[in-house]
Amino acid sequence: MSTGIKNLLHTLDSLDFLKLDRRTFMKAVGVFGATTFLGTYKTEIVSALEFAETKIIWLHGAECTGCSESILNGGNPDIVQAISKLNVNLAYHETLLAQQGLFVDGEPVNTSELNSELLVDELIEEGNYILVVEGAIANGPDGSGRYCVIGNRTFKELFGKAAARANAILAVGTCATYGGITCADSAIAEVTDYRGVAFTKENSSKGMLTELGIHKPVINIPGCPAHPDWILLTIGAVILGKIKIPDDLETILDQYGRPTVFFPTDHTVHENCPRRGYYDRGEFDEQIGGEKCLWKLGCKAPYSHADCAIRRWNGSVSMCTQAGSPCIACVEPGFPDSARPFYVEAEDKGVLLGANIDTLSKAAVGAATVLAGVHAVRRMKGE
Amino acid sequence: MKPKDNPMVVERYTVLDRTAHTIHAVAMLVLIITGFKIYAGWDFMSFHNARALHMIAVPALLAVNWILIPYNIFSVSEGGVQEKIAHFMDHYVFGPEDAKRLNAIILNFFGKGEYPAFTIYDEVSGHYKTKLHPLMKILIVIEGTAIFVIAVSGIVIYRLDWALLGLPIGSWILSAGDLVAPAFNMSSLQFYRALHLVMTYFFVFELIVHVGILEFNPHVWKYHKAIFWSGKEDLSDSRYAEIVKPKPKQLSDSEIWHESSDTPSEVVKD
Repeated sequence: MSTGIKNLLHTLDSLDFLKLDRRTFMKAVGVFGATTFLGTYKTEIVSALEFAETKIIWLHGAECTGCSESILNGGNPDIVQAISKLNVNLAYHETLLAQQGLFVDGEPVNTSELNSELLVDELIEEGNYILVVEGAIANGPDGSGRYCVIGNRTFKELFGKAAARANAILAVGTCATYGGITCADSAIAEVTDYRGVAFTKENSSKGMLTELGIHKPVINIPGCPAHPDWILLTIGAVILGKIKIPDDLETILDQYGRPTVFFPTDHTVHENCPRRGYYDRGEFDEQIGGEKCLWKLGCKAPYSHADCAIRRWNGSVSMCTQAGSPCIACVEPGFPDSARPFYVEAEDKGVLLGANIDTLSKAAVGAATVLAGVHAVRRMKGE
Repeated sequence: MKPKDNPMVVERYTVLDRTAHTIHAVAMLVLIITGFKIYAGWDFMSFHNARALHMIAVPALLAVNWILIPYNIFSVSEGGVQEKIAHFMDHYVFGPEDAKRLNAIILNFFGKGEYPAFTIYDEVSGHYKTKLHPLMKILIVIEGTAIFVIAVSGIVIYRLDWALLGLPIGSWILSAGDLVAPAFNMSSLQFYRALHLVMTYFFVFELIVHVGILEFNPHVWKYHKAIFWSGKEDLSDSRYAEIVKPKPKQLSDSEIWHESSDTPSEVVKD
């Protein structure tokens, strides 16, 4: 542990956590894992909650549920411990709740005790909840949203209804934040027209909220999947009022709505990569399975703003590059298009008629050399 | 300016010109070599040494290009702002006359016509009217732009949050990149790194054109000596150089004939 972190911990030990200013709090959040953070301040957190519980409505759009799996895999604390410590009521989460949609003749039936469709409507009606969105929102075909229907209504409709009454909106995972894989360039991308909550790729004017005419700030937690710490600590900070929405957002989020404490604008994964030493020595793996720098295998860590290499994954024991896989820049707004081809060096991407910068430049340099040679011979011969 | 001992030898490059060119050339070579080392992982040097050399060469190159060369250009000419601008346009900006020369050079390359003179010295004013090869005039503009682009892209590669006097220049550059990069399916940083690489290749290309096409010619080697060492050009070697002689003074009839003793053959023209 670095001296700086030790000093910070020492400082925090001697302070009343609840009186920490937002800046110090965010620093602590950035340094600690969720486990340390929630464990250290359990008592204070619980006693600090001015309201009995905070409701969370967690909606799933077009996605793989990987982000939910990621948070469920957050081992210590697990999701139950975190919910308990933060006094959270995870009121609605489609893959975790017991209810399911019940329809007769196309209409929802029974009560919210059994029918998830009625439950979500009731929760939205009650208001006072944090909305967590996982997955992209289909706008196609032709703005109808019919490419993603859950129960008997479009996800676009459900999202719009929930977003309109939410106290705070968190988009979790790259699909929800920027459209992700669902809106990658393809023959059908224009027809399906998947959108992120506040952005579609890098474009904030194409977020679903704008499409629906809802003007609410959003905290984006991208990643494919998002790290459990990023999700839990952000939710925790919002619940504890350490992130005041919307007042604090301008100072704690980057231009793509990501908390800079987890997605630092001045830092890339490459800088703390466990394989960085190999890069510095110019030692690169040419095929998967080696121990050297993965850059030549298409690693996008030099372009990815995330604290993966500091925080690590799977209980802080590993991360993609450590496990041997090149970073694919899954936290970046242009993902996956901006990271494709995943296993080709970024500068080797085709830029003109399929040729990459190196090839085109070498051709130009070669042509210049030939011309120079011919010119030189002619001049020497006095022609 | 003509040295007193030989009126045909004139100063082609001042000491500052030569100093600027030498620093420029060395810095550029260091940047290209260390840049490719960093990019491609060449194993002839450690990453840290390459980076350190790279970062030493950057301010040298920028200082020469953005301070010394502009100072040279505008200090060497006499007169006011208009005269200085006219001097700059004549000497460094590709104009119609340069287009004609370039056309003749291309024709000559294909075996038609003579290689034109591109250095024009005016004996009356004692200064060059123009001295650069027309291709160099094109390259200078492109190179100036390339240096600006590679410097800007280099800032964010060096440090994402680079600031100058508290101004978040790095963030501004990245934000500007965000406007363009998505069109190339790249993130801003990715775009700038690619741009940096393209510009590096441009400098290699330019080096080949500059040294290879312009200078890899025994008759042009006199200019190598001039730019790196002597600064002088001997105008008696007329290859690629043309001297504008003073025009003969036109005398009026009365000046010629007003003294009856003179005969036309005795009138001496200047």
